[in-house]
Amino acid sequence: MSEDLDQVYGQLVKRSWQRFDEQRMAREVDDLLVGAVVTAMVAEGNVLIDLNSDGNHHHLRFEHPPTKSRVLFRLTHVTGDVLAAKTLGHYAAVQMGYGEQVQDARTVWQALKSEIKSGFLDVGEPGVMTVDADLTTSYVYVQVELLLDLAPYFADQYTIKYPVLQQHLAAVRQALAKYLRGRITTTVSS
Amino acid sequence: MLQLISKFKNNAEARESKDEVLIGEMVFTMAYQGCPTIGFQAGTDLQYVKFKPVQDRLLHSLTIVLDRKTGDSALQQAVIGSKATLTFVAEVKNYIADPDDLVHMFKTDMANLFRNPWMGDIKLDHQLNSVTATKKQIIDIDKYTGANAESRELLKQLLIGTMQELREKLVPYKK
Repeated sequence: MSEDLDQVYGQLVKRSWQRFDEQRMAREVDDLLVGAVVTAMVAEGNVLIDLNSDGNHHHLRFEHPPTKSRVLFRLTHVTGDVLAAKTLGHYAAVQMGYGEQVQDARTVWQALKSEIKSGFLDVGEPGVMTVDADLTTSYVYVQVELLLDLAPYFADQYTIKYPVLQQHLAAVRQALAKYLRGRITTTVSS
Repeated sequence: MLQLISKFKNNAEARESKDEVLIGEMVFTMAYQGCPTIGFQAGTDLQYVKFKPVQDRLLHSLTIVLDRKTGDSALQQAVIGSKATLTFVAEVKNYIADPDDLVHMFKTDMANLFRNPWMGDIKLDHQLNSVTATKKQIIDIDKYTGANAESRELLKQLLIGTMQELREKLVPYKK
């Protein structure tokens, strides 16, 4: 009788571990992707120069030393529990920014920001590119917000599909760089 | 207008970002060794990254905590260089459900561990179903942040060598 109860108890604990692992895996997905973004960016010749993370909101900043261009990356895991992940699929709110050091950043920044006159604009809408500047370091940035499904980046629980991730990072970076250079050229020439 | 850049401290000087550069190189190196990241905590005074040794049947995780000791100012950098303390914590988890086995484990392995927690410069600890091995090392950050083949090989030796060293101490405690 005692043996039987021990076996039943063992089964209860084992099933509990399975459930617990599901929850843990749901929580770890964003950390896995953040590490993958760091790995992909470093592999492309960038260095990580800033890292802030409270476990939920992750902020990364990279610099490409030969060009001094910078990439900002913010990831917030929206579906961090099993219920949300199973219902919606894992996805994250990602803000990605691209910045270049420019001469007379203050003038460029003043010209660019004067376009936003309405407080009713939702600058957090996906695909909308906005411009900002860090005047102390003379960097002008353009950023975009995206809502990204995370499943395409994983072959299995711990295996990242780096070609897909690198392609997506490069695509966003290229789009942001095109927009930033186009806007700076327009602003300087007008 | 937007808040993304406000989330970052203003590291105008490259030397102030050296700990982040090192974290980036560590994440890159560990990823190529089959250890992806499963946890981040990073602020102004603490940087810790938790890795999952995926193919390792013994280790549940390896956590590396980076504590920057010197080199924030130009003077310190010139005189002392950029030193940091890396704390490595390797963790074994035991999934034992049988109460008899649990009691046996506490009477033997854990009792020995409590009596003599130090093995050289490695400290063993036990909490609930985890046994950890911890080692601290003071390193010169500049040796590992060159982003070239030589510095990456050195970093790989440091990370993987320390992980193996801690792993060996934990072998007797995996049930």
